[in-house]
Amino acid sequence: MTVKNSLLAILSQEPTHGYGLKSAFEETTSGTWPLNVGQVYQTLNRLERDGLVEAGAVDDSTRQTWQITDAGRDALNGWYGEPVAADPPIRDELAIKVLLAVATDEVNARDILTTQRTATMERIQELTRHKRKADPDAELPWVLLVEALILKAEAEVKWLDLCEAHLARRTKR
Amino acid sequence: MSTSPILRLSGTTRVHGEGPLAVRALGPISIDVHPGEFVAVMGPSGSGKSTMLGLSGALDQPTEGTVLIQGEDLRTIGAVRLAELRRQVIGYVFQDFNLLPGLTAVENVALPLELDGVRLRAARDQAQSALADVELGELGNRFPDDLSGGERQRVAIARAFVGPRQLLLADEPTGALDTITGDLVMRLMRKQCDAGRTTILVTHDASHAAWADRILFLRDGLLVDEAGTLPADTVSADTVPAP
Repeated sequence: MTVKNSLLAILSQEPTHGYGLKSAFEETTSGTWPLNVGQVYQTLNRLERDGLVEAGAVDDSTRQTWQITDAGRDALNGWYGEPVAADPPIRDELAIKVLLAVATDEVNARDILTTQRTATMERIQELTRHKRKADPDAELPWVLLVEALILKAEAEVKWLDLCEAHLARRTKR
Repeated sequence: MSTSPILRLSGTTRVHGEGPLAVRALGPISIDVHPGEFVAVMGPSGSGKSTMLGLSGALDQPTEGTVLIQGEDLRTIGAVRLAELRRQVIGYVFQDFNLLPGLTAVENVALPLELDGVRLRAARDQAQSALADVELGELGNRFPDDLSGGERQRVAIARAFVGPRQLLLADEPTGALDTITGDLVMRLMRKQCDAGRTTILVTHDASHAAWADRILFLRDGLLVDEAGTLPADTVSADTVPAP
């Protein structure tokens, strides 16, 4: 869904050939989601089948360009207008590890929390170094992406703090 | 690091009360902080963060162990030298800014210098330059009430670093600020450290602590872990892809 709508979003600006779509997508998302050209053409074929894009002119380098249709614009506006659904329930390794440590008493759960917090803080430090170097005016998509990653990591630290507070309360009882 | 530490805590312990009622607020804890370092201290409420900051800033004395500032043992130097260190070496920044409302920004920043006997004109010049360092050079004549929260905190940082002061102790300086303003305050603290001054920052906010070189984690008065001990240039950049 994300790739399909992203290609529509890029085509809503101007007709573009397949490789141009790949480059524009990767530039906007700061390279976090590399696309292969095959994937781009496969998606374009599906978009064409559904009437959301159509073949446009052939450019100076004899490359086929693609353009968005009215139905494509409607689909894109629908995507922008809908909130993104929440992620499925937590299944990440960290959450499972902490839940098991708390439930089984095999290991000191507070040690696990401390180790993880240090690692996550070092990740936030590294992201912050990227943020420090970036120019928010010239590189806004990159800055927004780094900030999203910082906030997600920060939420993890807050959760670890909360786990620790609960464990400390249980120990004192 | 080859330089001698600007701050050294050795077996530093702070106990409140005596006998069965004694409460250990901190320690024993041993830390070296070197000139130019930016150190953040994190931990839950009651973990000893503010106690550590008070001891490091000569606002309190340990019950055991020592605190050395620029190699001077705070227990043995006497009250006069202690007061000098507080005026000339250490600057403090708090969550609620603590600016005097009847003085302009530049007067607030110049005040510690004037109290220390620096002549008025020289004190104002140094204060103006400190305000320029926090990008407030144009607002020196404003009163605190005419400044935003972020601008007030930047004035407080200028005051903490004005003149010869080298060691900034900051207790939740971004607690009252929004994220973008808090980031600007961190950026300015970072700049001061990159210029050779030293900052110890107590904060609950992971994204602000991350501006520091080292992050100390306290729990129940003890140092339980430390993040960021790797020199910056050995840290790989592949956690995130290049822009």
